[in-house]
Amino acid sequence: MSDLAIETRGLTKRFGARTALDGVDLQVPSGCAFGFLGPNGAGKTTMIRTLLGLTHASAGTMQILGYDVPAQRARALERVGAIVEEPRFHPHLSGRENLRIVAAARGAQAAARIEPSLARVGLAERADQKVKSYSMGMRQRLGVARCLIADPLLLILDEPTNGLDPAGIQEFREMIRAMVEQEQRTVFLSSHLLDEVERVCDAAAIVDRGKIVTQGAIAEISGGGKDARSELIVGVDDVDRALRTLQASELVHEARTDGDSLRVVLAGAPDTAAAVNASLVAAGVGVMRLEPVRYSLEQRFLEITARLDDAGAGPTERPAAREGAGV
Amino acid sequence: MTAIAARMTSADLLKIRKKLSTLIWALALALLPLVVFYAVNAIEHASNASHEAAGGIDHFHTGLRLLGGLFFGPLVAILVGVEAGTTDQSGGVFRDLVVTGRSRLALFATRVPAALAMCWSVIVTAFAVIVLCTFAFADNLPTPNASMVLEGLGFVLLATGVLCTIAVGFSSLVNSKPGAIIALIAWQLIASPLISSISSLSGARRAVLSQALAHFGPAGVRAMHGAEISMSTGTALAVIAIWLAVFLALGAWRTRTMDA
Repeated sequence: MSDLAIETRGLTKRFGARTALDGVDLQVPSGCAFGFLGPNGAGKTTMIRTLLGLTHASAGTMQILGYDVPAQRARALERVGAIVEEPRFHPHLSGRENLRIVAAARGAQAAARIEPSLARVGLAERADQKVKSYSMGMRQRLGVARCLIADPLLLILDEPTNGLDPAGIQEFREMIRAMVEQEQRTVFLSSHLLDEVERVCDAAAIVDRGKIVTQGAIAEISGGGKDARSELIVGVDDVDRALRTLQASELVHEARTDGDSLRVVLAGAPDTAAAVNASLVAAGVGVMRLEPVRYSLEQRFLEITARLDDAGAGPTERPAAREGAGV
Repeated sequence: MTAIAARMTSADLLKIRKKLSTLIWALALALLPLVVFYAVNAIEHASNASHEAAGGIDHFHTGLRLLGGLFFGPLVAILVGVEAGTTDQSGGVFRDLVVTGRSRLALFATRVPAALAMCWSVIVTAFAVIVLCTFAFADNLPTPNASMVLEGLGFVLLATGVLCTIAVGFSSLVNSKPGAIIALIAWQLIASPLISSISSLSGARRAVLSQALAHFGPAGVRAMHGAEISMSTGTALAVIAIWLAVFLALGAWRTRTMDA
């Protein structure tokens, strides 16, 4: 199997004059939970619909599990499970019957996976009830069961926690982690919830206005990328002397006061923090606190999108919030 | 039929046979008019011996006209065909079937045998009622022989099966259940008899589907759509084949190309 579960190059999707996906180059490594993060209308659902062949790409190439799409679409999707937008079912049929319908279109072994899949998502007891009596949480779980009957190497989940209560969200996150860690599946998860992606995913891509803004490991994105400088909060007994000392130091890129503390941007790697501490002590400054600044994914996301706005992405109006209609 | 096609057809049949509203309407439309027709005639004959018995060949043909040609059989075929053609889209699950990687043409193709199985189950039940009443209420009237019964069965299966298949194709094309039902009923039950009765259209009326289907009906039921237009068996077959090919092709094209 390919090292990349999903790979796109120059993927473009246009709806008339509007470009929903604009030359997307995306690499999703196998065996991880990958977040596809972006605000409403950024192009997340369009990306998923294009990958799955629900709509045609205007330009670019795609590979899923090493197979070219759309040329080898059937082979590619054989081991892919997906929930696009909210999971939909025939409401007049039971959960089990709905799975039978999808299993019929899958390979011969799919029908045998119906019962284990229902058990896996905790719906075995209620599988004979009509879906119209299911709660949103139950439908989401049935959607996952429908994915599992393909014994998927890759799960593509579009905003999977929408409509779930907090307990359901937690349960869903645990299920995703278990699929990655215990079952070695790849999960591609689109979300506009930064916190969710940060908690669940190992890597992510941030998409905005149909373009990939950044992608990589979560820690890398949260830290500002490979070239980001380390930042410290330094608590001292003499702020003025400490500031003079740090501003004169070659170890420091920038130092400024921040209330009773100092914010120090290091010129080098994070391990130079010890040398900075030593220089302060040598200058007779008492150091009471030395704390690396940790950025959350949310802070980085807001920084990135703000930069885009400042850079003159300008007044481009975001598309309508409902992604199914396009973006 | 391959094993996977058989499984998909069975799944499609499950979707429509479990749709209770469609099933009840189909059974009601197929059975109620026949039950009323034979019951009323039987009661009239019982209360007045000069009134003809409710069974026999003439009433057999009337039953066939009710079921196969005039109104109720076509309605059943339209309802079932449209349900089969639109149920995945209206339920929002078409995309989940596309995501399996199965070809869209295969997803379309399995709708047809599923719709026919459901439609013909209802029609055969209704035909059984016709035969039962024909013989049970015949009294001294002549009854149809086996070949007439088989000819009648073949006719109602052909008439409803062709219309049901066209309904699958047309509804897959327009992707609107109410729109497809209204358009097909309007064509089949209003426009077709009207066009058939316009004598100035002369031979062009052979292109009307109902006329081609009526060609294969027993002699007593042919003139059921405004006028009986004579045509050769080859012409009738060609007309039916063209109608089927056009609507199946359009339905398949739409299913293959639309955004899911």
